[in-house]
Amino acid sequence: MVSLETASKGSRFAYAFIIYLIIWCIFIYSPGIDLRHFIQEFSVGIVFSLIAAGLSYEHLSMRGLKNLSPRRIWWAIKYVPVFIWAMIKANIDVAYRVLHPARPIKPGIVRIRTSLKNPVGKLALANSITLTPGTMTMQIVKDRYYIHWIYVRSEDEEEAGKDIKGNFEKYLKEVFD
Amino acid sequence: MKRILGGVIAVLIFIVLALAFVHIPFGNIDLAEYHYYNPVDNEHTQDSVPQHYLDEGKKETGSTNIVTAVVVDYRGFDTLGEVTVLFLASTGVGSIMYIFEKEKRRKVRRANAVVETASKLLFGFIILFGAYIFVHGHLTPGGGFPGGAVIASSFLLLYLAYPRFHAEHKNLNIAESLAGLTFVGVGILGLFLAGYFLYNFLPFGLPTYLFSAGVIPVIYVAVGVKVGSELTGIVDAMMGVRE
Repeated sequence: MVSLETASKGSRFAYAFIIYLIIWCIFIYSPGIDLRHFIQEFSVGIVFSLIAAGLSYEHLSMRGLKNLSPRRIWWAIKYVPVFIWAMIKANIDVAYRVLHPARPIKPGIVRIRTSLKNPVGKLALANSITLTPGTMTMQIVKDRYYIHWIYVRSEDEEEAGKDIKGNFEKYLKEVFD
Repeated sequence: MKRILGGVIAVLIFIVLALAFVHIPFGNIDLAEYHYYNPVDNEHTQDSVPQHYLDEGKKETGSTNIVTAVVVDYRGFDTLGEVTVLFLASTGVGSIMYIFEKEKRRKVRRANAVVETASKLLFGFIILFGAYIFVHGHLTPGGGFPGGAVIASSFLLLYLAYPRFHAEHKNLNIAESLAGLTFVGVGILGLFLAGYFLYNFLPFGLPTYLFSAGVIPVIYVAVGVKVGSELTGIVDAMMGVRE
């Protein structure tokens, strides 16, 4: 395991509390909610966010409040269109392979490497790869990913990695590392 | 021969089902035709229990969700019994598994790195969602039992994330006992203040607001915590001694 810097307990707790309060507001939102409803729901939300944060702040994050730095959030927002575009491209590609009468597939499992260090970053990359059709993360061992690929263009770690990861890694590195 | 027998059985089943379904009112049927038997006064009346819940439930209990009004208010005593049954089941599973698991210690294989990281990440969010479900029991579908089950499932994720994780039995017992005491305490308070066990003595408030329906949210929070800690205890017992 790579040693990661760990923030103070207070910072991690505060981070968990803020995140949970935001999620709570998403839970309770409904169109036409008025102020009195909101105040009641929000005050209960503060209590439950404190409880949930107390139980789980150790598991949620290592860096605490540093996760909320504007640079990371900006890169995370920029990552969304990149991911959606990659997904559209992969969808069209897989649809082509399914509809083509000759069925041009060449399935196989390839191994690629990543330079991401943060476990959550690795998870985000693995899930991005799985969510784009045609590729699926089967296993992560340290910095190596084992990926099932619908059309193996290259068995080389370097080249296959470039093909599968696309732009994902660059953005995720800014968000998580 | 077999085919004829099969055909006869199919026809018989069809006739029985058709006869049964004839009496079920599908669609619009004039309710005035229907009479309900009242065994106390030994007479047929227009008043039915379901209709009473639908018409008067909100007024009598303050709960927007009629199902919750029935579960926690009209038959709250029964719910107390259900929670007790769950407690007994959890104790039983715990004692049986303890005898079985004491000798053999299971080797644990680490889960996939994806599963481990995601479980740690999602743990708190699932707790929050469970809390959301049980605190809104009187407004939306759900309530103490599903909310508690969701919370227990979040602890199950921790068992996936850490191969040697064990829930602290002492803390679970404290949470469970406090929740049970709250439920019974609210009931006894109702007995003292109004003369009925589990009487809804708090102000009802306005429907659709979170602070409404009197004691129903209090009881449902207690039920949620109790069910959550009991199911976590069951999960812990099932996991056994791991190393």
